[in-house]
Parts: sequence; C-alpha cells; structure tokens
Amino acid sequence: MTDERDPKLSRRYRELGAEEPSRELDQGILAAAHRAADKAHAPLVAPAGRHRWYFAFGAAAILVLAVAVTVQVERQQPDPEAIPASPAPVRSDREEGFSQQQEQQEDRKRAEVRKQLERPKALSDVAPTPAQEAPREPSRDAANRVEPEVMASAVRLSPERLLERIAELRKEGRHDEADKALAEFRQRYPDYRISDEMLQKVERRK
Amino acid sequence: MLAYRGGDAGAFDRLYARHRARLFRFVLRSIKVRAAAEELYQEIWMRVIEARGSYKPTARFTTWLYTIAHNRMVDHWRRGGLSLVSLDDHEVPANSPDPAQHAEAREALARFAAALERLPPAQREAFLLHEEAGLTVSEIAAATASNQEAAKSRLRYAMAKLKAALDDD
Repeated sequence: MTDERDPKLSRRYRELGAEEPSRELDQGILAAAHRAADKAHAPLVAPAGRHRWYFAFGAAAILVLAVAVTVQVERQQPDPEAIPASPAPVRSDREEGFSQQQEQQEDRKRAEVRKQLERPKALSDVAPTPAQEAPREPSRDAANRVEPEVMASAVRLSPERLLERIAELRKEGRHDEADKALAEFRQRYPDYRISDEMLQKVERRK
Repeated sequence: MLAYRGGDAGAFDRLYARHRARLFRFVLRSIKVRAAAEELYQEIWMRVIEARGSYKPTARFTTWLYTIAHNRMVDHWRRGGLSLVSLDDHEVPANSPDPAQHAEAREALARFAAALERLPPAQREAFLLHEEAGLTVSEIAAATASNQEAAKSRLRYAMAKLKAALDDD
C-alpha cells in the first residue's frame, strides 16, 4: 500500500519547488571526485606531461654510469688468462720468436746506451782537458777521445745532427773516428736513408 | 559507481547528474536551512567519494547514497542535540511563517509545506525518501537502518498527516 504514491500528495509535493544545488557546489564536488579518481590511478613512477623527460633522462644517465663503471672495473682487474701460471710464460712459437726478437733488440739498445754512457766517463779519466788537447792530428788517443764524444752525444742528438758531426770529423781529416762513428750510426739507424749529398760528406773518399 | 571505483571519473559525473537535485531537496527539506543543507549535501558526496572503494553492488546505488545521507543527517541532528528516533512520536512545533501572510494562491501550498515541516523527522525522512528519492519501504528500512515495519509505519503516518493538510484546502 505504502509503496504506491498518492498522486495528489505527490503533485502538491512537487509544487513546493525544484530547488537545486548551486553551480559552485556542483563544481566543487565534481572536482573533488575527479581528483580522487586521478589520485587513485596515478602511476607509481611514470608522471604525466612535461616532467616525463626527467625520468627518461635519469634512466639514460644511470645506464651510462653503469656501463662506465663496468668497463672501468674490467680494465683494473687483470685478465685471469693473461696471468702466467708459471714463471716461464707459455707462448706459441710465433709469439716466442717475435718476443725474443723484440727482447734482443731492446737488450741491444739498452746495452748500447749503457756503453755510450759509461765510455765517456771511463775515457774522460785519461782524456786531456780541452786546454791540453793535442794538435788536430789523427791519433789513437784522439780517436778514442772524440768518437765517444760523438756517440755519447748520440744519446741526445738527432740522426741529422750526428751525420753533421761525422762530416765535421771527416772534414778535419779524422777519418778513423769518422769511419767508426759512421759504422756505429748505421748500426743504430739501419733504416735511415742518408742523402747523397750527406753521404759524400760522411764517407771516406777513395 | 563500479566504473567510478575503477577510475572512470566520467561515471561519477553521470551519477551526480542523476541524483544531485533529488538528494539536495531531500536534505534541504529535512534541514530547512539552506546553508546547513548545502554543507550537509557536500559532506554526503564527499563521503560517497571516500567510500567508493568499499562500495558493493548489493543494493541499488540510490539506496546506498541515501543510507549515507541518512547517517549524515543523524550526525547533524546529534550535533544539534536532537534524535530522529526519539522524536518519532512527537510533533515538532511549526516555526514557519503564518500561511496567512502569503499570497492567496500559495496558501494551500504553504499549509502543505508547514505540515511537512511539522512531521517528526523520522516520518518526514521516510516520506522524503519515498517521494523524492523513490525508495520502496524495504529500501527506506535499509537506508535508515530500521526494520521494514517501522519504516512502513513512519511512511504511513507521514502520508496520513500530509493528506489531512491537503484536505484542509
């Protein structure tokens, strides 16, 4: 009975008016509802709009940093395969041959430099001072004295300058010294191509 | 409401559009003071938004909405030292302006409005839920956390008194 409406009563009730909430009230409630919906479904990481690039940039930076650290660590750590298992390294024949050649060359160079460094000192003990220097005649002592000077300076002189020094010796008639210096020069710089003009100056003329 | 709970804000817009006017009138005619009614109306919708996660479609959304409205109303009356239930059997003295002061054309309507205002809050609520929100007796009982007999009784009394006011026309 009571679930049915009384038409007369309903009509009179409707006549009371059709009040509605204000527009401001509507907007406030709808805005709150939208905020709540957005908040509930906001992604945990990915932001929206203009802040999105921050995260892409951050991810790229982390990636680059990780790669750099990995490479650095690998460089600093010795390769286990490169560490010799015994004092005598096991190498292939080719490697061994190449390495031996290299070592021999290096040994030769080291010995030569050592020799050049030591010789002047040994000779300087017996060599006369510039004031006592004998006349410019070729002699064994002079040869022993000058040649080490030339080659000792070879440690710091360029090949071109050395050739000039040899040429000077030749010009001064100190041919033995020049010959020795030239021979040594050729031994030290086997691949150096001496120009024809310089060759005439440094070689003994027959 | 399920769509809104799932994040569809547009679903709330549709719900709100469907229920806004009826709910507002229900609150306004229960509270009578527009400012207080607006405040309570807003509270009800905020509660709907907050409680969206716990919404279960065991009943019509309308029933759920007016259940929330009823609870807010009870809180309102309690804040004012009143109780819907305790006033069930007592007539509330009319404090509306004398209908005679209104224009002749609106005299009958004023008497009806006065009769509505004089109803005990629980009876008025039952009538408004029935007339404004379109709830059945069962739904009124559910929304007001009462049994069906009580809801039926309140509604019957309310309608009888209002009819009597109409018969005076």
